[in-house]
Amino acid sequence: MRYDPPIHKTQGLLPLILAFAVLVLFPFVFEATYFRHVLILAFVFAIVATSWDLSLGYGGLFNFAHVALFAVGIYTYAILAKTLGFSPWLSILAGGGTAAFVALLISLPVLRLDGVYVILVTIAFGQLIYLVVVSWSDVTGGTSGMVTLPTLQIGDYRLSKDGRIGYYFLGLGLLAANLAFLYYVTRSRLGRAAVALRDNKYYAIARGISEARTRALTLMASAVFTGIAGAFYAAYLRVASPDAFGMGFLTLLLSILLVGGTGTIWGPVVAAFAVSILSEWLAGFGAWQNIVIALAIVLVVVFYPGGLWAALQELREVADNLRSSAIARLRRRETATREAMTSAQERMLQTSHGLISVADTGDADKPALLLLHGNSACKEAFHKQFRSFADSYRVISFDYPGHGVSANADPEQSYNISAYAEIAEEVLADCGVSEVSIFGWSLGGYVAMELTARDSVTVTALAISGTPPLNMVPDDFGRGYNPDSHLVLSGKQYFSRTEATNYANSATAPISEESAFLHRNLRRTDGRARVYALSRLGVIDWPRQMRILSEGKIPFAILNGSDDPFLNHDYIARLKYGNIWRGAPQDIPNGRHAPFFNQPDHFDLALFAFLEHARSLDMARQA
Amino acid sequence: MDPVTLFSIIKGGIVLGALYALMATGLSLVWTTLGIFNFAHGAFIALGAYVAWQFSATDAFGWPLALGIIATSLVMFAIGAFLHLTLVKPFERRSDVVLITVITTLAGSAILENLLLVIWGPRSKQIPKMAEGELAIGGFHLAFSEIILLVLVLAILVGVGAFLRYSRPGRAMRAVSQNREAAQLLGLNVPMYFALVLGLSAVTAGLAGVFIGTIRFMNPAMGSEPLMKALIVVIFGGVARFSSPIYAAFIIGLLEAFSIYFVGLYWAPAVLFFTMIVVLLIKPEGLFGKYQRTL
Amino acid sequence: MSDPILSVRGLSSGYDPIKIFRNISLTVAKGESIGIFGPNGHGKTTFLKTLSGLIDPWSGEIVFDGQRLNRPGERGSRKWRNFNYDAVTRRRMDPKQVARAGLIHVQQGNLLFPELTVAETLSISTTAARGRKGWSLTEVQSLFPRLAERNDHKIRFLSGGERQMVSVAAGLMSAPRLLILDEPTLGLSPKIRAELCAAILTVKETGLPIILIDQDVAFLGQIIDTLYLFDHGRISGRMSREEMPDHDGLMAILFGDQH
Repeated sequence: MRYDPPIHKTQGLLPLILAFAVLVLFPFVFEATYFRHVLILAFVFAIVATSWDLSLGYGGLFNFAHVALFAVGIYTYAILAKTLGFSPWLSILAGGGTAAFVALLISLPVLRLDGVYVILVTIAFGQLIYLVVVSWSDVTGGTSGMVTLPTLQIGDYRLSKDGRIGYYFLGLGLLAANLAFLYYVTRSRLGRAAVALRDNKYYAIARGISEARTRALTLMASAVFTGIAGAFYAAYLRVASPDAFGMGFLTLLLSILLVGGTGTIWGPVVAAFAVSILSEWLAGFGAWQNIVIALAIVLVVVFYPGGLWAALQELREVADNLRSSAIARLRRRETATREAMTSAQERMLQTSHGLISVADTGDADKPALLLLHGNSACKEAFHKQFRSFADSYRVISFDYPGHGVSANADPEQSYNISAYAEIAEEVLADCGVSEVSIFGWSLGGYVAMELTARDSVTVTALAISGTPPLNMVPDDFGRGYNPDSHLVLSGKQYFSRTEATNYANSATAPISEESAFLHRNLRRTDGRARVYALSRLGVIDWPRQMRILSEGKIPFAILNGSDDPFLNHDYIARLKYGNIWRGAPQDIPNGRHAPFFNQPDHFDLALFAFLEHARSLDMARQA
Repeated sequence: MDPVTLFSIIKGGIVLGALYALMATGLSLVWTTLGIFNFAHGAFIALGAYVAWQFSATDAFGWPLALGIIATSLVMFAIGAFLHLTLVKPFERRSDVVLITVITTLAGSAILENLLLVIWGPRSKQIPKMAEGELAIGGFHLAFSEIILLVLVLAILVGVGAFLRYSRPGRAMRAVSQNREAAQLLGLNVPMYFALVLGLSAVTAGLAGVFIGTIRFMNPAMGSEPLMKALIVVIFGGVARFSSPIYAAFIIGLLEAFSIYFVGLYWAPAVLFFTMIVVLLIKPEGLFGKYQRTL
Repeated sequence: MSDPILSVRGLSSGYDPIKIFRNISLTVAKGESIGIFGPNGHGKTTFLKTLSGLIDPWSGEIVFDGQRLNRPGERGSRKWRNFNYDAVTRRRMDPKQVARAGLIHVQQGNLLFPELTVAETLSISTTAARGRKGWSLTEVQSLFPRLAERNDHKIRFLSGGERQMVSVAAGLMSAPRLLILDEPTLGLSPKIRAELCAAILTVKETGLPIILIDQDVAFLGQIIDTLYLFDHGRISGRMSREEMPDHDGLMAILFGDQH
């Protein structure tokens, strides 16, 4: 059910294109060779750090020989291009090949090990490679290394000419290719398998993922561009020295990775630029340069282990929270418009989960009917029912926290089904209602069942729509719903414009003058409410809800849209219900996920008939 | 190989082994108790050497070496405990503490080494020898300083071992290492014991540094090679008991001495790392290990 | 009723960020033993771990014999998800202080210290006593004669029942004023189980109050004065020993008639 759209369908595309454009234009605006030099180094560090992140962040394999893979690229270039006289361009490609081969060798001892032992064996491997390089001085030049390596040229044009502009664009091109490669790998079968192994090794293996193969391929994939970057680095600086194995370089890369944030591609890229510029700037301070960089690592890991990328996400969340709660506050003033839609009185109620907007037709002598709305919707979705049921019922509805004009609340505490049920209890208590009929739509259906199961108010009738009752969560999720529908969006925090329209079209009604307010309301919903409601399914005792339905003590009806795109109707029909109205789930002809909205006449008739049925049962019982 | 060469190889191996034993003991003490791998251990070694130099060198404070060693131990203990508070304690309750502390201790090591560079400069230094002269029987030579080193190392190791086995705080330390929660429930002061262990480990590392400083020239990066050797020893021997890395240290010391004789100074470390990788492949818990993480 | 020995008010806690139980209040009178009964995985053990400070309480208060064990106030909000709050916040409760105050927790399925011998374990078990008079070594050895035979064996070589005995013995030597036993008889053979139950009964008869979690209702009935039912992270019922139904009766109360 994980929803992970390709980048061109998300909001990440624009910043990416902008950043790339800035980097392309940069050398034409700032012509100083020094700036280009710093950026070329940043490109190299970004390639090595992001590649490392593939094995470390995504694969959970702490390969501390990664720096050695970079050195392998350097020496491959030096030996092939200088000693053996191969074409420098081929030697650069060969750097990727040899690094991948060495990664394969590294993966052999790693296959059997876990945790800190992976670190130890890869450190040993890195040292082994270092010692071979230093000791085999006939070939590698030993501790003094190799100098005056061949430079890169296209025809007769040397890339170092014109203020190294050729190297600048080659480096940028390599970075872009590396990012495309990583993007592809992380979204491929291999990338998903690596993440699965990292998160739950034994489960992943039980599902048929080969640990050995995935580990070996992950390490090799992380080595290819590392080796190429090493060869490029050697061609650019024209030296190969064993310094590349040193702790200084390792610490620098580690700081890029950690400051940027592991497990993401883009965080380390951003950090590579920040850290290289900082590091260059500190170069004049001798030993203090390393102290500051190491201190940065410690501070980030101690206080903010997620790094720069997590900070950006968190800031975005803060901004989005401010945006959505500001909209809610503004719209709260338009009470009259909403009261005109529902003909009910609206008021704000302070609950234990924050300020909640309640609509109530207020006839205390009529039986109460509570309407519970769905994910990312609002109480006005029921405005037609407010009108048609107000004659015989006291209709009550409210906006969940983070929805409609209710306030945003603490996501940990308030954005889950059980909290919504608690709010419903508080709202009913405030209305002085102790006996109630409930209709729950979609997410509201689960709230309705939870409220019934909690047994603090007397539920005289329970109707749900667009809600497959669940027994085993999350397994039944895949059975009860159609995972190919736009339902996959229901747990997504931020909607792009297309996604918002898609979701509102499927969940409520295709956009029209009549449904425009629902579409507008969707953009107001606190995105965290979607994420938390879906990730806190564990707070619910699902079998208890199912027991309520199978025991059949409470009159119960299912009123689904026959064309509901989200539902698997077979699953709903297969479940055992103790006492379901008319013996089976009822379909509203041509109804979609919100049948009460697009087929109000049919729906109202059905709901009315069910409520009457429940009342007659109740009267029979009392008599 | 003539007996004199053989003797000098074995002697060299045992002296190396003694140094490795001292370094590895501290490393394995932290590993088994806190469950983390301290990559700042090498920096502790260098720091110990420099602090002792500051106390004892004729061009610095010029105290007697014995006094310098005691003062160094105190300083190292404080630094070890401080590093526990800053680099380890904030993650105590995280499940990925092992991996996080690898990173923080690496960074801590970089900070310490570069601070040494800032304070004492890059110029090589040497601590005065513990004793002059040598014992010569026929062609067999044994320097007094080597004898003192062996005796001191053995005394330190026996002392630490006896402390862990027979003293009440030593037992409590072992209890803490084996089951943190249960130790807390018995009223033991777990954070204090953790700081104590890191302090003790820093002391042993610092003493190893002092001994190395009396034999070789010192530089701020002098700890990284011994750290790697200690790592090989700990992997090779495992940490099943307090004594496992000690046996392993002498085996590795002898292996290194013989490798130097047979394959030369440059290739000898490669032989050791290769041995370590093979051991990790065949018996990851170490040669003498059955159970991990116990003391 | 005199002052309670333990009073818990509005206690909530869990494993970040999931709250396991919320707003639990209960009082244990001086000399009273209580039992906790409920399904597995509903937070009983988490509750006990919070009582002994292994897990920080999020809100509420724990007062043991007039001494407040957790720091006052709610746990600060943890609004920034990625911030490592452990680096800047002090723990809200210190398990060592709890043990030293005399609230001793014998954990479920406790392996204690596998590489320590029985004698070594018991020798460090008086740490929490702090001048209070606990059980002496000879007293626990006469309570558990097996332990005297196993004195120099490492705990890792003991059977499950013997380990549990060492755990209880270590708890008794810590001079408890209230002893928490979390499923002490879990997974033991009937013979060892009987031995252990008899020993716990002996302990109870010395007048030491006990908080006992166990699935065996008959055994609970021998030890406790009051039973608390615990499900879904809350106390769902309280009854005295006399009101206690049998096992099936309790299950019916917890799960409804279907079980």
